[in-house]
Order: sequence, then structure tokens, then C-alpha cells
Amino acid sequence: MKKYINIAFAFSILSLTWVSCFKEDLPVDEDGLLITTRAECAVTNFELLGSDFVTVRTVAAVIDTVAQKVAVTVQFGTDLKNVYPQFTLSQDAKLDPKITGKMDFSDLANPKVFTVVSGNRQVRKPYTVNITVQPK
Amino acid sequence: MNRKLIYTISPAFVAALLLFIGCKKEEYALPVAPDVLQNTAIKRTLGPNIVTQTIDFAYAAAILPTKGKLTSIQVEASIAGATGTFLENRSFYTNGSGVDVGVTVGSPSVNEGTKTTVTFTVDTSAATLRYSYVVPEEARGKTVTFTFSAKSSNGETVTTTMGPYTIAKMDMVRLLNVKTDSAYISIADMKVYDPKTAATNASKIDLVYLYRNITTSTFSHALVSPAADTAYLPNVKMPTGLTNSTKMQKVFNLQDFNLARLQFGIYIDDLDFQQLDLTNAPNYAINLKAEAGVWVQTADNKYKAYIYINSVTTSGTAVISIKRYAL
Repeated sequence: MKKYINIAFAFSILSLTWVSCFKEDLPVDEDGLLITTRAECAVTNFELLGSDFVTVRTVAAVIDTVAQKVAVTVQFGTDLKNVYPQFTLSQDAKLDPKITGKMDFSDLANPKVFTVVSGNRQVRKPYTVNITVQPK
Repeated sequence: MNRKLIYTISPAFVAALLLFIGCKKEEYALPVAPDVLQNTAIKRTLGPNIVTQTIDFAYAAAILPTKGKLTSIQVEASIAGATGTFLENRSFYTNGSGVDVGVTVGSPSVNEGTKTTVTFTVDTSAATLRYSYVVPEEARGKTVTFTFSAKSSNGETVTTTMGPYTIAKMDMVRLLNVKTDSAYISIADMKVYDPKTAATNASKIDLVYLYRNITTSTFSHALVSPAADTAYLPNVKMPTGLTNSTKMQKVFNLQDFNLARLQFGIYIDDLDFQQLDLTNAPNYAINLKAEAGVWVQTADNKYKAYIYINSVTTSGTAVISIKRYAL
């Protein structure tokens, strides 16, 4: 009887191990990021850092998710050729183009456009970043 | 013997045996000092080795009292130290309150060429002497090696070599006072000129220090090139002939230890200047704060520098320190 109990115990341990090692084969995109079922697609926060990694905003950025616009006012004298933008996006979403370092936002007449791509990679929303420099 | 009994007794026996081994103590024996003259050295300064600054060491030598006494300690640098290089003639120990106390053991050190020597005047078998090497101009960009040696009364000599240490190419100047509208900074000269002398050294002036308390924007303390947009030089009466456009990049949280002398163990070295790229940098830096800094590249591309702001006041003055690297 004891022998049968031992066998049953060993078998259950083995099956648990097997189950824990089993992975669901979820799809990933070209960046190696999981493609999920979420369709939310929005910018939830925006930050702009100077070359010294200190914020150059004067107030919090205004994000209009309907018009798909980000409006940010920066300090007088900000070196807009060398700033680091930071986007916070809705869950599982990603940004196109990617931000890899310093960016040039100095061409105020032609604001930069970033596209937010939803977690399911089905929804794409372009956001325009409008920068205003604080007057002297 | 009964099989069941063996199974019962054996684990108990093994446990008792382990306990016995675990409780056994090794006999302690006093370490025996080698009966020859011994020595060791440590480098006390950290960070880059900069011309005019010091490199400090502590050198210890000892011999068994029954074998003899120390007679002299000597340091030989591969490049002779600048004026001020010395070997302490006091041996230091740390007392119960944590204070280093010096005991005079020899005559003041004598510099002869590359050698610095202390001759012992008291009977002692062990001493730790401090050595302070002032980096000379001729060592810039080269390496320096130090050979420490001690002699004892029984004729023994012992030697330790420290290094080679690379001497940085960069220069450094600390605590220059600047005042708004009357501080014209020259990186080439590492000096601050007033408006009159700035005009006579126009080609060397790289930056102007300004302070403006503007309510509509954050101007505050600023370092601006003479050639910058006049929006960044409000109401500045620029001396004639100042035309340099110096590239600048603001930095925060880079309190270089050599310049700031604060608790931060950060050192800017030659490598930082070599890797610095200010290609698209502007020619002004406004809204500067205490403990911030600015990377600088001069208009003639002869120098890169880091200007650290030690302190500022709201009356339009500041104290700055500069590290400069010749390209």
C-alpha cells in the first residue's frame, strides 16, 4: 500500500513540474514586445528634460486625447535642439518612432508627431507635440 | 545485532559525532613576526592626479626591536616633485578618540633631486610616515612611479614600488569670485577679468557671468558667450572686441570632488573631456544654480572645460571653479 502512495506522490510532483514549465505561446511584435488584447491608445503624461536631465517645462503638459495633441510650455532659454522627451502611454501601448536619446524640437513651426500604437497593435493614433517657449 | 536497533542508534551516533567536531576549538597561537625589516605603502588620494595638486601616500616600515632600529626612510619619484613635496618626520597613530596623533621620529625631510629623505633621530623600530608629492608641470600627461625604501641599523634595506600613476593633462583652478556684469571669464587664462581688462584681452574672453531677476522668466544666474543672441545678454554693455561664441551644455548633479570638495565621490578626468561632444550645443547657459555646472568648448577649439558653480547669491555674485583640458 505504502509503495502505491509513494508512486502516486512522485507522479503528482512530476505533473506539477510539467505544468509549471508549460508556456502559452503568446505573439510578440518586431520589438519583442507582447501583443495583447488591449485596444487603449493614448498619451497619459508627457515630460521634457533638458541636457542636464532637469525638466524644462514651466507647468504640466496639457494632453488632449480627443484632438491628439500635447501642449507644453518650456522655460525661456531652453536649448530645444538637445532635449529628452518622455511619454507615458496607456497599458501595453508603444510609441513610433522610438525615443532613443536627445531630440531636436527647435523647429516650432513644424511640430513633431509621435504615433501611439495600442497593445493589440490594431489602433494607431498620431499625437502632435506643440511647444511654446516662455516669453522673456 | 538487531537490524531495527542499528537503524535507531546510528543517526544518534552520527549527530553526537558532528556535535563533538563542531565544538572542538583550534588552539590560538600568537603570530610570529618575520625577523627581517618589513614595509608597506598605501595611496591616500583618490581621483585623477592633477598638476599642482598632491598625491599622498602612507609608508610603514618595521623591524623586530631585538634586530635593530629604523635609521632612515626615503622616497624616490621618477619625476622630481614640485616645491612643497615632503615626507612627514612624524609617525602617526590614531588615538582612542579617533584623532591622528603625530610623534616626531626624525629630522624634517630633505629633497635632493627626485629623492626625499627623513633620517631618524629617535630609537624606534616601527614608523608610518606620510608622503605628499606635489605634481610638477613637467609630469603633465606622463606617468610617475614612486620607490619607497627604509633602512635599519642592522644594515638591512627594504623597498616597495607604487605606481605607475598617470598624471592628467587637465588643469584646475578653484573658487573664482564672479560678479554680475563685471566678470569676463577666459578659459585660456583660467582667469576672470573686469570690463576694462576684458577689452584688452578681448580674444581670450569666452564667457560673461550675468544675474538677472526677471519675474516673467527664469533667467537667474547665467554664463553667456559674448556672441550670443542679445536676448540672453539683457542690458549688458559689452566691452569692445568681444566676439567669441563658446559652446555650452548645462549639467546638474556633477559635483566633481576636486572642484566642489563635497561628500560626492565624483571625479572628472581627461577621458570625460575626450569623449565630450558639444557639436550642437548652444552658446549660452541660463538659469544656473549652485552645485550645477556647464561643459564648455572654446570658439577656437583649443580647450574644453567644466565650470562648476560652488555657490550663488541673490545679489548677483557667484563662486566658480574650473577644470580645463587642452585639445
